[in-house]
Amino acid sequence: MGRYVIRRLGQMVVVLFGATVVLFCCLFVLPGDPVGSLGGDKARDPAVVEQLRERYGLNDPLPVQYGNFVKNLAQGDLGEDFTQRRPVTEILQPKLVNTAELAITAIVIDIVIGLLAGLVAALFRYSFWDVLITLLTTMAVGFPSFVIGMVLQKAFVVELPWFPLISDGSFNSLILPAFTLAILDAALVARLMRGTMLEVLRADYVKTAIAKGLPRRTVLFKHVMRNSIIPVVTYLGISFGTLLGGALITEAIFNWDGIGLALVQAVQQQNNPIIIGVVSFGVAVFVLLNLIVDLLYAVLDPRIRLA
Amino acid sequence: MRGATSAKWVVGAVIVAMSATACGGGDTKADGESGGTFRFGITEPTAIDPVNAQESEGIVIARALFTGLYDTSNDGKLIPKLAESGTPSDDGKTWTFKIKAGTKFTNGEPVDAESFVRGWTRVSAKASASDVSYHMADIAGYEDLHSGKSDKFAGLTAVDATTLKVELSIPDFEFVKKTAHSVFSPVPKVAGAGDNKAFNDQPIGNGAFKMTSPWQHNTSITLVRNDDYGLEKAHLAKVEAKILNPANGSTLEYQGFQSGQFDYARMPTPQLTSAKAKYDPQGEWISGDFSGINYLNIFNQNAPFNNPDARKAISYAIDREAIAKGVFQGLQKPASAFLPPSFADVYQAGVCSSCVKQDVAKAKEFAEKGGLKPGTVVNFGYNTGAGHEEWVQAVAQQLKDVLGLDVKLDGKPFKEALATQQDKATSGLWRQAWTADYPTADNFMTPLLSTTGIGEDPATGKAQGDNRGRYSNPEFDKLLVTAKATKDDAARAALYKQAEKLAVDTDQGVIPLWQRTQYRLVNSKKFKNIKMDFYEDPTLAEISLK
Repeated sequence: MGRYVIRRLGQMVVVLFGATVVLFCCLFVLPGDPVGSLGGDKARDPAVVEQLRERYGLNDPLPVQYGNFVKNLAQGDLGEDFTQRRPVTEILQPKLVNTAELAITAIVIDIVIGLLAGLVAALFRYSFWDVLITLLTTMAVGFPSFVIGMVLQKAFVVELPWFPLISDGSFNSLILPAFTLAILDAALVARLMRGTMLEVLRADYVKTAIAKGLPRRTVLFKHVMRNSIIPVVTYLGISFGTLLGGALITEAIFNWDGIGLALVQAVQQQNNPIIIGVVSFGVAVFVLLNLIVDLLYAVLDPRIRLA
Repeated sequence: MRGATSAKWVVGAVIVAMSATACGGGDTKADGESGGTFRFGITEPTAIDPVNAQESEGIVIARALFTGLYDTSNDGKLIPKLAESGTPSDDGKTWTFKIKAGTKFTNGEPVDAESFVRGWTRVSAKASASDVSYHMADIAGYEDLHSGKSDKFAGLTAVDATTLKVELSIPDFEFVKKTAHSVFSPVPKVAGAGDNKAFNDQPIGNGAFKMTSPWQHNTSITLVRNDDYGLEKAHLAKVEAKILNPANGSTLEYQGFQSGQFDYARMPTPQLTSAKAKYDPQGEWISGDFSGINYLNIFNQNAPFNNPDARKAISYAIDREAIAKGVFQGLQKPASAFLPPSFADVYQAGVCSSCVKQDVAKAKEFAEKGGLKPGTVVNFGYNTGAGHEEWVQAVAQQLKDVLGLDVKLDGKPFKEALATQQDKATSGLWRQAWTADYPTADNFMTPLLSTTGIGEDPATGKAQGDNRGRYSNPEFDKLLVTAKATKDDAARAALYKQAEKLAVDTDQGVIPLWQRTQYRLVNSKKFKNIKMDFYEDPTLAEISLK
């Protein structure tokens, strides 16, 4: 197990290296000078452009630039961004915290609502509750998240001022964006859970367990839930990774200062240090989450061997 | 220019506050209650330290924190702040400013001639790599300082505590108007170098407001009244600028206003009409015409537009009225001159004769003369994601309908758009806008239409300046130089008028489209005297509780 983890972490380094190399090459073949203009379409004074190119080593050949990047990264330094000229780590740190807060809250909502709804729908198949849950999840899946976000905002910020419009860091300002992000995923989790549970409930070993006279609760939690939850864990793992990459539309609607918006803006401004920082972080998160999901499989299903 | 690049020019940007003397169209000072917190939204500025404050969002804060020699009213008049007088020499190369004695920075340091020298030197120093230092390029010794050859600004002398002498490298009888820009602020000794992070995030100034806590990046900037302000003090106790994301800024401002969380707001363009209907009757809607222009840049040196006739054909073919009514719902006004109406002494309505009214017959006639045949491919570039899509499509359609041109719309993100415009081989049209930094005709004409404004890089042929349409006429260049060196105001204005007629009418070097009108919602139930200043920002220093 320990060996397996070390090997996977080794793979992560390789993936990160590959990703940053590709990213570097992409960024530097883009048309336009990353330090060539000001906030708008105003050209920068050529003397200042030259100074900035020197300061940020943009005149060096690409391999040299990459070498410097790796050297600095090893010391935890991602350089300075091109517009405000502040350290990238200082710029990204609060955004990462914000994004993580939002992602964790959304995932908790997913798990609670999604699993409960799926469970109820599967156990009381074709009942009123099952039909209602199926109907609601179908609707939720059909709505794009920006519609949900705007409706929630209009209703609970503008019309009924229950929540602040501009985030003030309080738990209150977290609720609406977290729900906006969670609704779609929770619906998918509920449907996934219902489907796999119905399959498992029909399995021979469940019938055997019931025939053996095991209490219903034991059957449900030890056998049924544990086996039904594997695909859900996979889905939630991927979903959580996506959330940690930032949620552009939700962030824009609720003015949530997260990674998604930062990346889009950085791409528009060709603010390369920010792009590289965010993407490297995203790759690392995905690789780590994959590892965690694989480890969870082994815990949930002893037949899965990590080797 | 303050980056009039996005739909900002429709919806507006936010900058700041002038200090407490009346500014704007001859309004009377109204003294209201002191106190209150004024809340509005901005997007994250590049900088709020005058050393690099550049777009409206940064300038609004810098102007609240610092007071310079002069301020500018909306109609381009100079309002003295710390200057008691500004006197040019007879040759227009030396300016002497007398400075008000006895005012202080909020840390107690005196504001004297030396602090102006310090501030301007800090901006132009090589190490600062300031994006706005070019405003000082005409001061003697700028090159040496900016290239790092010297660490002194040769053209600046603090003669005594209250006398600042500025020597220029060329005669300029309007230099005084430049000093209204926030880049010309004085700074205290503690400012240190341009990259002093502590000062960058919490500047110590001499303005009507001060900061008691540093800039919370991407969250908010809070200003409090400076009770020791040496001029007329502000009424507001506090100003809270919440930082909004640019992707959704105007929507958030509008919603914030509706839910009572902002006292001042821009609106998304599609909502302007309904917002006006709702808020205008309640006296919560303000509008103003500002010193800016939206125009078509036309690549003068490459076919098909390398002759004035072809360029005039395009201008005559555009129905500005129809687009102003349709796309802009009557909220933008067609422009018939390059200079804005707010520059009353030089404004000539109708100077661009091809702009006054769409004229299909003339458009066709000029197209014929200029060799602009139906089916000619015309590239029409614009920057994406800034709300221009709708109107550029309307213009393109008119060019197709009237002249039968094959117009290729080409939307690009900023940096890429800029690279394309700078390229020597680029042809066709490009959307462009410009807002004034200070109220001088020169601030439009030199960067946008003069040969020096092209700034061609000999190595790559790139246009590094702002005149990317590459209009170039030696006669026009000479008029500008002569005008700058003309002492008499009326004679100077006449020269600028002549220059504008030559560039915008005779040669049609650019094609004016719309004036710059701005709209805001203001909480007039709670506050008095909320107006927009020359920089399209709320007049923070004059606002008071009702």
